[in-house]
Parts: sequence; C-alpha cells; structure tokens
Amino acid sequence: MASVTADTPVIPTRSAAARFGVPTTLAVALVLLLLLPALGLPPFFESFLYLLCLWISLATSWTIISGFTGYFSFGHGAFYGVGMYTTANLGASLPILVCLVIAAALAALLSLGMGAVIFRVRRLRGELFALLTLAMTIVVATIVLNTPIDGGPGKYLLGVQLPRIYDNSATTIYLLGACVAIGTLAITYFIQYGRLGRGLFAIADDEDVAEGLGVPSYRYKLIAFAISSAIAGVIGAVHAIFVSYVTVSETFSSTVALFVILMSVIGGMRHWLGPAIGAVFVTTINFVFVSGDSALAARIVIGLALILATLFLPEGVAGFVQKQVHKRRAAASSNTDTAPHALVPAAPVAAAPTATERPILLKGENISLAFRGVQALDGVNFDIRQGEILGLIGPNGSGKSTLINVMNGFYKPDTGRLLFEGHDLAQMPAHRIARLGLARTFQIPRPFPHLSVLDNVMVAAMFGGAAYPQETARRKALETLDFVGLANRAGAFPSELNLHQRKFLELARALVSDARLVMLDEVLAGLTPSEITSAIAMVRRIHGGERTIVFVEHNMRAVMELTDRLIILNQGKLIAEGDPRTVMDDPAVIRAYLGTSDAEG
Amino acid sequence: MSATLFGQSVLSGIFAGSLYALMGLGMSLSWRYLRVINIAHFGLVFLAAYMTYEFAGVRGYSALAVALLLIPLFFVLGVIQQVLILRFNVNEFSSLIVTYGLAIIAEAVIQLIWSADFVRYENRALHGNVEVGTLLLPVADILLVVIAVGLCVATWAAMRFTWLGKALRAGLDNPAIAAAFGVPNQRLLLLVSGFSAALASVAGVFVALLYTLAPSQILSWLGVVFAAVLLGGLGNPLGLLAAGMLIGVSEAITMAITAPSWAPVVPFTILILLLVLWPQRV
Amino acid sequence: MLKADAVCVGYGEALALSNISFDLGAGELVAIIGPNGAGKTTLVNALARLLPIRSGGILLDGENIARLTPQQLADRGVAIIPEGRRLFTSMTVEENLELGCYRAAARAHKREGLEQAYAMFPILGERRRQISGTLSGGQQQMVAFARALMARPRLLLIDEPSLGLAPVIIKQVFETIARIHATGVSILLIEQNATKALEAAQRAYVLDCGQMIASGTPDELRQRPEIGAAYLGHGH
Repeated sequence: MASVTADTPVIPTRSAAARFGVPTTLAVALVLLLLLPALGLPPFFESFLYLLCLWISLATSWTIISGFTGYFSFGHGAFYGVGMYTTANLGASLPILVCLVIAAALAALLSLGMGAVIFRVRRLRGELFALLTLAMTIVVATIVLNTPIDGGPGKYLLGVQLPRIYDNSATTIYLLGACVAIGTLAITYFIQYGRLGRGLFAIADDEDVAEGLGVPSYRYKLIAFAISSAIAGVIGAVHAIFVSYVTVSETFSSTVALFVILMSVIGGMRHWLGPAIGAVFVTTINFVFVSGDSALAARIVIGLALILATLFLPEGVAGFVQKQVHKRRAAASSNTDTAPHALVPAAPVAAAPTATERPILLKGENISLAFRGVQALDGVNFDIRQGEILGLIGPNGSGKSTLINVMNGFYKPDTGRLLFEGHDLAQMPAHRIARLGLARTFQIPRPFPHLSVLDNVMVAAMFGGAAYPQETARRKALETLDFVGLANRAGAFPSELNLHQRKFLELARALVSDARLVMLDEVLAGLTPSEITSAIAMVRRIHGGERTIVFVEHNMRAVMELTDRLIILNQGKLIAEGDPRTVMDDPAVIRAYLGTSDAEG
Repeated sequence: MSATLFGQSVLSGIFAGSLYALMGLGMSLSWRYLRVINIAHFGLVFLAAYMTYEFAGVRGYSALAVALLLIPLFFVLGVIQQVLILRFNVNEFSSLIVTYGLAIIAEAVIQLIWSADFVRYENRALHGNVEVGTLLLPVADILLVVIAVGLCVATWAAMRFTWLGKALRAGLDNPAIAAAFGVPNQRLLLLVSGFSAALASVAGVFVALLYTLAPSQILSWLGVVFAAVLLGGLGNPLGLLAAGMLIGVSEAITMAITAPSWAPVVPFTILILLLVLWPQRV
Repeated sequence: MLKADAVCVGYGEALALSNISFDLGAGELVAIIGPNGAGKTTLVNALARLLPIRSGGILLDGENIARLTPQQLADRGVAIIPEGRRLFTSMTVEENLELGCYRAAARAHKREGLEQAYAMFPILGERRRQISGTLSGGQQQMVAFARALMARPRLLLIDEPSLGLAPVIIKQVFETIARIHATGVSILLIEQNATKALEAAQRAYVLDCGQMIASGTPDELRQRPEIGAAYLGHGH
C-alpha cells in the first residue's frame, strides 16, 4: 500500500500560512480602520465607511445561517429591528455597550424560539423556514407598532450617551461599526473552518446523511441561527444611533432581507468573505445612485444583478474563485497517477469462534413499523453478535432497508426496543446513535456534493463514534481513503468520481470513526463482476476478523462467501435465522424467498 | 360584539379570504407542478391592477373588456417566464431568488410609470351594495367570491377528472414514463405557467376594483398569501380556498375585537400553531 | 418490424452501448439477456426514446425512429413496461391505467381497455381506487402490464419484469407475457433471468459489457458452452 504523503497531491485546505494569516490580517485591518479617523476624514466618507461596515456585518451574519446551512432566511430584518428598538428604548438609560449586549441576547432568544418550532419539521423545512422568517418580520413589526415599544409615530434617540472618541460622536458610531464588522468576519471565519462549520456545510448538502454521520443537526442549526441573529441585533443597535430616529416602516421594510440575500448571492454564500465582497459592491452602487429616479434605477440594477448572479454565477464571486483554484490544482495534479487504486487481495482470516459463542452486541426486540398502512416491519426479533458478519437478506420490499433505517435512527419504530450496550436506540436521534459507534452506508451513495472527498470523510471522523479533533480527523480520513483506494482522489469532488469510487467513499465514511457496528446496504449493487470480487475482498478486510458487520445484499455468492450468520426477512417478518447453509435449506425460506409454492408476493 | 358587527366581520373575512385564494391559486399550482416558488406572481398581480386602473379608470374603457384582454396577455407573459426558467434550468430554490428579483423590477417599473403615490380606480357599475337583513354586501365583493370559488373548484375538478389534470399529475410522479405514454410534459408545464399568470391578472383586476394601489404594497401580500398556500397544501385548490377563508375570517374578527393594525399577526399565528400541533401536515 | 443498426449510446464520455444491432419480426417474442450492468436498461431507454442515441439507426416498420420524441414513439404504437414498474405512485390504480391510453388513438378504447385489464387482473378491479404506490410488488407489476396494454401497443418493450419479485410471482409474470404474445403483440423482453427468458422467447440476443456477443434460438444459445456457463448457471 502506498504511503499517504506520497500519494495525496491535491488536498484543498488552508495552508499553515493562511491559518495564521487570516486572523492577523483581520486584526491589522481593524487597527487601521480604528486609526483612520485620526487622518481627519470628510464626514461623508466616514459615513460611507460606516455603511460598508453595517452591510458587511448584516450580510456576513446572514450567511452563517443561510449560506453555510442552506436555510434561507427572509427575516434578518426582524433581528436587526430588535436591535434598533433595543437602543431606541434603553439607549437613554443604559450605557451603550450594555444595550448592545441586551440587543444581541434578545435577537438570539427570538431566533431560538423560532428555530425550536421550525427546525423540528421534517418536510419542506427549507421553504417553511424562508416563509416563517418572512412572516416573523411582519409579526414583530406588528407587535412593535401596537405596543409602547414604538406606539406608532416612531422613536427619537436623543438621550443616548456616546463616549466621544476623536472628539466626535459620529466617529464613535463608525468605530463601533468597524469593530462589529471585523468581529463578524472573524467569527464567521472561525466557524467556517471549525467543527461547527463542517457540521453546517454537511447539513446544507444533505441533512439526513449529516445527522446519520453524527452531526447534531438540530442543535447546530439553532446555534448558527442564534449567532447570526445576535450579530444582526448588535449592528441594529448601533445603527439606531446612526439614524437617530427609528420607525416601524423603515426598520422592518423588505430592504434588509433583500440586500443581505443580494450581497451574499453575488459575493458567494459558502465562504466567510463572500458576503463582504457583495456588500462592498452593492453599498457602493447605492451610494453612487443616491436620490430620486436614480434610486429607482439602482433598484432595477439590483433586481437584475440578483437574477443574473443566480443564473450565471450561482456560487458567487468567492465560489467562482474557489472553483477556479480547484480546477487549476486538479490540472496541476493530473500528471500524477489518478487511476483507481488496485485493491490488495484479502489476507486470509483466521477461523473465528463459532457464531453462538460470541456475546450479543445489539438486540432487537419486537420491532414494528408501518407506513401508510403497509406493515414494513412486523414484530422483528434479532441479535447481532460481537465480531460477526451478519447477512440480512430477503426479497425486494421485505423490510431490509427499513430495518437498517430503524437501527441507524432515521425511522422511529412504532413498537419495540433496540438494545445496544445498555442504550435503547429505538427512540434515539440518529446523531446520537452514530456517536455510540454505529455507522452505515447508503445503497445509492449520498456524498455531500459540495465537499471534497477528504472533507466528506472528515465530517464522519469528527462527528462519528470516535469524535476526533480536526487534525486527527484529517489524518484518520487520509488513512481511511488510502485503505479504500481513494487516497489520490482526496481533493476531488464527489461529482468527479465514478459509481464504484463513490461506493468506496461511502465505505470510507462508515469506517473512519472506528464504528463498532457497520451496516452495509447493498454495497455490491451496480458493480461489475470484477468490481464485485474486489469489493468482497474489501468487506473482508473491513471485518478484519473482529469488526461487527451487518451485510444487506442480493448477490448470493457474496452472501455465502462472507457471512457467518443470516437473518431472513419476508414481508416485514423475520422468517429464519442461523448458519447460512442451514438457513438456505430451510423449507420456509425456500418457499417464501426462493418461492416454489404459492406464496403471495 | 353585536351580531351584525360579527356577521359583517365574517363577511369581510370571506371577501378577503377569496382574494387570498385567488392570488394564491396560481402560486400554489406553479409551486407544485413547476417547482417554481413564484414571488413575481405578486408583480404580475399589481401590473394587472395598474393596467386596469390605467385603461378602465383613467382612459375609461369597459372594465370587462380590459379584463378579457389582460387574461390572454398575461397567459403569454407566464409562458415566456417559464420558457426562460426552463431554458436556464432554474431549480426550485433559485426560482425563489430569481422571481424575487423580477418582483423588485416590477415594483420599480410600476413606480416609474405610475409614481409612488396612491391611486384608486372607482367603478360605478360595481359600486352598489346588496342588503341582506342588517348586513351589507358590496357587489364587487360578491363577484369576487363567485369568481374565486368558481376558479378554485374548476381547477380542482380539472386536476382530478380531466385528461389534462391526470397527465400533469403523472408527469409530476414520473416524467419519463409519462412521456413514454404520450404525455407532452413540457407543453403542459407551459400551460400551467400561462394559466397561473392568467389567474394573476384576474386577481389584479379585483385588487384594482377593491383596493387603493401603491407600488410599495406589492410584497405586503406575500406573507398572508404564502401562509394560505402552505396551509391549503401545495397544488390543492380546495384546501387553498378553505385556508384563505380561515385566515380572512380570523383576521376580520381579530380586527373587530382589537385594532386593525393587529391583523397581520393572525395568518402566521395560525400557521405556527399548525406547525407545532400538526407538524406532519406540511 | 423493429431493426436496430449499429446503435451507440453514451453517458458523458463513456459509451454504454456500442454497435448494437438486432431485429424483431412482426408478432415475434425476442429476448435480450445479460448480466447486471450489461447495458440492458440503457438499451430499453434508448429504444423508448428516453435517452439520446449517439449514432446508428432504429427502424420501426422501415421508419427511422432514432430521433423521435417519446410522445411520437407512443403514437406509433410502442409501449413500455419499465424496470422496477415505475408507476405513477401517487395516483390510483385506475388513473394509472387511464394514463396508459393517453395518446389520442387509444383514448377511444378506454372503457373497453379497462374491462379487459380487470378481466385479466381481477385484483386490480377490486383495488381500482387504491393509490398504486401502496400495492405489493407483484400487484404493482400487474398495474405496469395493464397500463402498457391500455395503449393497445403493437410492440411492447418489457424491461426486467422479474426484478425484485418472488419466484411464484415471476412464474405468473411470464405466463402473462405468453398470453399477451398470443394475442399477436410483438414483444422485446429484456431480462437478467436467462433461464426464464429463454423459455419464453423465440429468439434471443446476449448483451454483455455494452455489446451484443451472441444471438440465436434458445436451443442454440443453451448449447453454447460459454453462454451456458456465464448466464445460465451451468457447471455450478
């Protein structure tokens, strides 16, 4: 087997310099921005810079929930409005910094309440989120309008006390804005490259798979939403002082929601710097076309830009640049060998103890599940024993995949228990089951399409049973990719792999976190005969004589070669269980599964 | 609250609900069958409303003639929009953003032509009221209810019982196999988008008849109509009609009990309650 | 009746089918057999015009159909029973059957077609109002057959009818195919289960790795040792 370092030319990740460089650059930028007023800038320039900071903060914070996680919010204006009205009501009696903290807390609380409702819904969740965030803006506006928070005529901010830095309170507002903007960029940068960001990107690509690999999707979405909203609240609180008179119709107009989407779409939503690029572009256009008919022209330009960006630059400026970099890297590495890695034949495995001597790892008791009146699983009882390869077979529609989905937490059974080392998995969320050390593959591979092969495997390594820290996860992921023969494709995207390679990527994700129970759902389906031979060898090596495997398969040759024991499902019922040769001779199995008499299908 | 006030509130809720259903019908169909979340639908509604104001109000042509001309015109606009969406292979999610962009442009164009000021179209023929006991029923509103209910029921029946409706549903389930049995999927989709836009023009005529127009109001209908569309179930005209009525009546009663400015909260409270109590519904 | 001449079909850069040629006479039942991944379903989809053909010609009664749309092909009396049934799963059994006679020429025979279908598959008559996605696999296959027959086809393309069904049901499926064939419909049967397919067919072709590697009568093919070993499980 080739060594990892020699075989992995393309791994798009931040270089050490970048990791050190970005925070430093941001810090330097902040210092420069703070020193700028000392030069004695003209007021209009200072207010332009302030507006840049405002929109960078708003657009970047929006991206944390909507770009990274893929949940489009039309309600960013509500959180910003909460911030505005916090200062409008408390600014005269409390120090400004306390106001900012309260604004952040209120906005975060509002988002947590919203998220707790919406993120529980399973179908149409993206659309519902978009709609309900929009609706929330209207609801919050209505409440503010009808209560003393505003009361109708709007609020003047006359009594707000600002420290006078550089002898000018307008400059103080600019300084606050600069701090918030740079802080937002820094937070977003650390989120993107940290554990949270990896989880969020996985959620954006395929939430169910992410959950199945151990990403606590509900909690992560709430955290991302709360951070995003808190930032909007803070910058809203600052902006209230800037405008000095807040009204409901201005504050909760569609402008904020529209502009942050526009800026992020243009700049790129899957990169911390993207929205800032868009913010600079749009704010500048708006600053140039200021009044009357030219403001109207600006709206048309912005509408067109939104359409054109969606059609022609779907990943924004930042995404476009990233893609070009990836292409160049891939072209540079195409000289190296990218042929599929030849598989090493299986090492002979020592004779294992007989099946019945092994301790029970997982025990299923009376598992039943019905969909729309069809009994998919009907009182299934089974054991999975430590270190065995258990074959799970049965005709199409007999409930095999349903059983895998129940064990991995995607479906909750109507009745029954699944005991795994003292835990009942039956009602446990999928990410906790993954954390306990159960992993699965999908019959039709479901890689995260926007993550590289390496990042796909790293998500599993960081969130699965082993829960490795980032650097260990990277090493483990590379080792696992080498094991399945994909090391030289680590930097590729899943769309660049063929079916065979994507199946092996599935395997790598299931293996990387040292799962104690691996469920393989028809790994051989769709492979050519020679690929099947190598895949059988691969399963044997995965087993390594000790790892527990549940093997769902139609290919009887593979089943007979690999499995220690079989359980057979038919129409949701377990009809036989035991040693493969004995089971296949069981008349009930022959009748129902191979069918020589008059069983109904 | 007196019985008359209550009855009048329920009635005005039914009128409002009919307009929600009429506006939502095109959205609901295009969301379900075209996978296009069409925010530009509201732009079309207001474009039709302003054209009704311009031709029937300012220039004095017959409102009926204007409506009969707008319907085919908007059908064509809808077909063109869908041709472009198919041409650029816009997915459901991008359609939300692209049509949002279109709505902004529509708003700006309307403002360029008709200014940002409020305008009002007065139609004398539909000006009167019908009195039933102590209740007053404006003629224009009665017409609205008849048209909205008629269109929703007719659309439901067409989807359920006609070859066209069955072919559309089959195309949604499995386009390739539907094609193999002779279903012309693409043409049906264009038909749906044209029909949706034509519905927008009908809704627009009623907006002009019943409301004061301003460009800034275009997206103010978005939230409540979206709520009705989702509550009713995508592509379900009868559900939409019921949801529209439910929202309209609850709004009207809320307004009668509290202040009119509280009304916007109602549809979303209903929607959120539904989500919390009955999450598998949506 | 149907004649394919050097048909090539590809996805992206790879060729899934290269130089496929075969023919089928009027009223004939011809099988194309081959292992998983040989390109069988690709071939059916290309014939049904659901996939573009890169080169080569397909003649139906002398007319080249290689560039027709699926709808135009349906108008010429070709119907498909696709792999994995692929019903309109959210619609009722009867609506599925009605869609079968969507094309103008078949619509006139809707009532008659439904009667025949329910006579052939009584269970479907009992379940005509049931949503087809909730039927069992065997019943779904019946719907797929009945749907295709509603189109009153002259040529029927049947793709992997045995897939995922219990052997008892498979037996019934092949009996149904024989009955349909007896009414004079030409049938192209694509099947992985070579034993069953060879029992049913008058002639057969063997497809492997995207190429036709053999053809002949079932008896001739059974005799050829390399075919027997690879596809019929002889010598195991």
